[in-house]
Amino acid sequence: MNARLRPILIKLGSMRLTLVCLGFLMALVFIGTIAQVPMGTYEAQKKFFNSFLVYGKIAGFSVPLYPGGLAIGSLMMVNLISAYALRFPYRRKQAGVVILHLGLIVLFAGQFFTQLLSTESQMPIEIGQSTNFSESSRRMELVIAGMSNSDHEDVTAISEDALAREGKIALPGKSFSIRVNKFFKNADVRMAGPNENPIANRGVGLKITAGDQPPVATDDQNNNTSVYIEVFEGGQSLGVWFVSLGMGAPQSIFAGGNEYSIAIRPIRYYYPFTLKLKEFRHDIYPGTDIPKNFSSQVHLTDNETNESRDALIYMNNPLRYRGHTFYQASFGKNDTLSVLQVVKNPVWLTPYISCVLVMLGMAIQFLTHLTGFLKRKNENASA
Amino acid sequence: MKTPALKNKQGLGSPAELKYPMIAIALAFIYIASGFIAPKDPSGFNLNGFSELPVLHGGRVKPLDTVARTSLLMLRGKQTLRIGERRQSASEWLLDALYFPQRSDSAPLFEIDDPDVLGSLGILQSSNRYYSFDAISPSLTAVEQQAQMADQVKPDQRSRFQRSIIKLQSRVMLYQKLQNTIQVMGEDHIVQNLRNLGLNARDKTGPDAAHMLEHYQFLAMAAEFRPLPDQHAGSNQNNWSSVGQGILNSIAAGKANEMALDYAVMGDAYRSGDSAAFNGALSDLQNKMKGLIPEELFRVKFEKGFNQVEPFYRAMALYLCVFLLTLFSWFSPKGTLRSAAFYLILFTFAVHTTGLASRMVIQGRPPVTNLYSSAIFVGWMAVLLAAILERLYKNGMGNVVGSVIGFSTLIIAHHLAVEGDTLEMMRAVLDSNFWLATHVVCITIGYSSTFLAGFLAIVYIIRRRFSAVWDSETADSLERMVYGIVCFSAFFSFLGTVLGGIWADQSWGRFWGWDPKENGALMIVLWNAFILHARMGGIADQKKTMLLAVFGNVITALSWFGVNMLGIGLHSYGFMDQAFVWLTAFSVSQIAIIALGAWPDHYDLQPKTLRKI
Repeated sequence: MNARLRPILIKLGSMRLTLVCLGFLMALVFIGTIAQVPMGTYEAQKKFFNSFLVYGKIAGFSVPLYPGGLAIGSLMMVNLISAYALRFPYRRKQAGVVILHLGLIVLFAGQFFTQLLSTESQMPIEIGQSTNFSESSRRMELVIAGMSNSDHEDVTAISEDALAREGKIALPGKSFSIRVNKFFKNADVRMAGPNENPIANRGVGLKITAGDQPPVATDDQNNNTSVYIEVFEGGQSLGVWFVSLGMGAPQSIFAGGNEYSIAIRPIRYYYPFTLKLKEFRHDIYPGTDIPKNFSSQVHLTDNETNESRDALIYMNNPLRYRGHTFYQASFGKNDTLSVLQVVKNPVWLTPYISCVLVMLGMAIQFLTHLTGFLKRKNENASA
Repeated sequence: MKTPALKNKQGLGSPAELKYPMIAIALAFIYIASGFIAPKDPSGFNLNGFSELPVLHGGRVKPLDTVARTSLLMLRGKQTLRIGERRQSASEWLLDALYFPQRSDSAPLFEIDDPDVLGSLGILQSSNRYYSFDAISPSLTAVEQQAQMADQVKPDQRSRFQRSIIKLQSRVMLYQKLQNTIQVMGEDHIVQNLRNLGLNARDKTGPDAAHMLEHYQFLAMAAEFRPLPDQHAGSNQNNWSSVGQGILNSIAAGKANEMALDYAVMGDAYRSGDSAAFNGALSDLQNKMKGLIPEELFRVKFEKGFNQVEPFYRAMALYLCVFLLTLFSWFSPKGTLRSAAFYLILFTFAVHTTGLASRMVIQGRPPVTNLYSSAIFVGWMAVLLAAILERLYKNGMGNVVGSVIGFSTLIIAHHLAVEGDTLEMMRAVLDSNFWLATHVVCITIGYSSTFLAGFLAIVYIIRRRFSAVWDSETADSLERMVYGIVCFSAFFSFLGTVLGGIWADQSWGRFWGWDPKENGALMIVLWNAFILHARMGGIADQKKTMLLAVFGNVITALSWFGVNMLGIGLHSYGFMDQAFVWLTAFSVSQIAIIALGAWPDHYDLQPKTLRKI
């Protein structure tokens, strides 16, 4: 190995670095847990654990104060891999150590890829109804749907991130384009007073003023994501609309001789199969209101694979189908609505593999210790 | 120089040396056996029989004894009621509450110690914390209004007054529901009414019919528990009905409900002081139950016995004896006191185990189902490990640490019990014996072993600083114990945490969500890993390893209780109002011990021997 690289690798793989990482991670976990009280789990998770640096405000400036979960995690991976390269004793007596740390690598890598690849969404279904899509519970999109005469609807969706950048957005295949004049993560919407001039000059926005309010912190509230958009056709402005999640019905615009509806709604994920809710059960223990069981009986129909069957989804027993997992998450409307959590995570098996490896490694390691210790003890006793 | 206890390495030999252990076990045995003797009923009423009656309450079939104890605990914070000089058992009190409102309303039943609540009731705060229903009944409307206002506020934002008034309101509700479970409160001539009802059952148009219907509908609605099984009750718990419902059904069927009638006869007899009539009706009722639900009856009797023996309470006292015996043993010339303590801890462990197993039998669940049972189990596991260490090292360390943890965790459990029935039903997502038996048990083993290592390390610090004799043999043996236990703890904490993640993956669709409870478990894993790496890498010497192990106590306590105080996240099923002060005090004490140990002593000046294990 390169003589100049080796000392660096030795440092990177050192036990001291392990301790530093563990110490920093402990403190981060502690702070990140306490911070969930004011921030809510979701926001705290983003700020502390799914980040490279944790920023804080000092004198009005946002400055990095502490390494985030991703930074510490990456350093621990480097530490582990360097230790594998240089330090680990590949002897039979130490086989446990080697196996158990391999398990840790699988675990970390698995969580990293989960972060990257997995999506979570919700699928509310009412009894008797069918659906083939689920909705994100946090991320929104602006949807422009053509009401043309053709059989299927032509839908253009613009994600929240694109809206947040504000400015012009071209719409491929459309005769018009839009410009986001203002994006609100969480808008405070009021009826406009007599002396206020609404910014919008079309649609519902004519009677409304909107202001920024801080994004909600707790996990059970939603942000009222809203935008002012201006529609342009052939270089001419067709007007400014105010579109908001809080408005139930979509608004209409006329452009290029067609009518389009615009609305903000949760991002949708479509599936090549449908689920129909046949029955929802919410059992309680007799004489109490303690829930005993929630379960949804669904009928799965997939024309591509020619499958059509019933499935029972209940607590601790999800339905896994074509890379998606459907969990019983919530319910509503007097027990006539069941909400399924839909998760797509291609690396969901990694924790299972990791668990086996680490347990095996630890068991080998500690049992070697223990037998050695008891042997010595017996020798001492008989001596 | 060696400690005296260490000289006796080979354990016991002659019968003379067995004398102390034998005496200790015999005394402990008598103490436990005395719990099996049912208390005499001086009044002549068959209280024992009454307290063994099965009812459906909180989703499971249990004896009236358990209803009485848990209700009294919730109302008063104690399992007995002291009226003047007289101490009333829980079942005796329940009889009054069910049948004799004039008497139970004047008993000092409600524990109220919040000065603001007392102020709002217009009561001067005195040294007496207990107030009768009569004393608070003039302000009931005000209490209800205040509680309704407080209820609008989110639980974690409520002031102390708001929390207290809600608590008082719920206790008043509980009391009033109990009073309207067997009969509508204050109703007389019930037996006669029921008999008439039986006669007139078909005449649903009589002048009293509408009134009666309303009467029993109220009774059906207000009932706290359901005392009437029907013929399918053994197999399905839905087939238990309240007295009100039972009577309504009997009106519909045109046939008097015999068991409701028995309960009514007992009430009339109790109020008129006729113990013979009471016992007669009770015996009739028992016979009917026996024919209907023999298996349930056996389980209920078992639970009543378990309540009466109070194995955890008695084990607590015995752990205290073990602790004192071991302390004395360090000053006694021979090792016999130590071995007496060792045998006593084994015996106490057996009592502890029996209690734990009984709970599992009654509930049909793995050992840990809620915070209360986690405390019982943490102590149990720590004592088991400590006893093994004592058997290996024979120097009293296992005895001391085992008895301290056993005693403390049972005290904690005792205080957690005031929240109500500790054998409560499992909420839907927790209703999985597989995960309760694997994930929850592993995590709890992690708690108890981290505590054990921490307390052994405390013994190390204290003895090193204060003991006249401090030799490398004691030091090294303690170090080996701590190291071994930390390995054990790392194994189970990690296994438990990953299994928890897998359970979460099965039920919520994500392996890890940085939920507070998950983070708590993760911190224990990280800390154990920290200690192991520091020790194996030769970065921490013996003393520093011990200091690290003591800090494990803080982390475990935070993970175990602190997380519940945050009151957020998917895991926060049991919100705890107080205990925060205790947690802080414990953490501060542990940090003080670490500071004490970290302060240089003269052993630090001796040449260091850093051993790799």
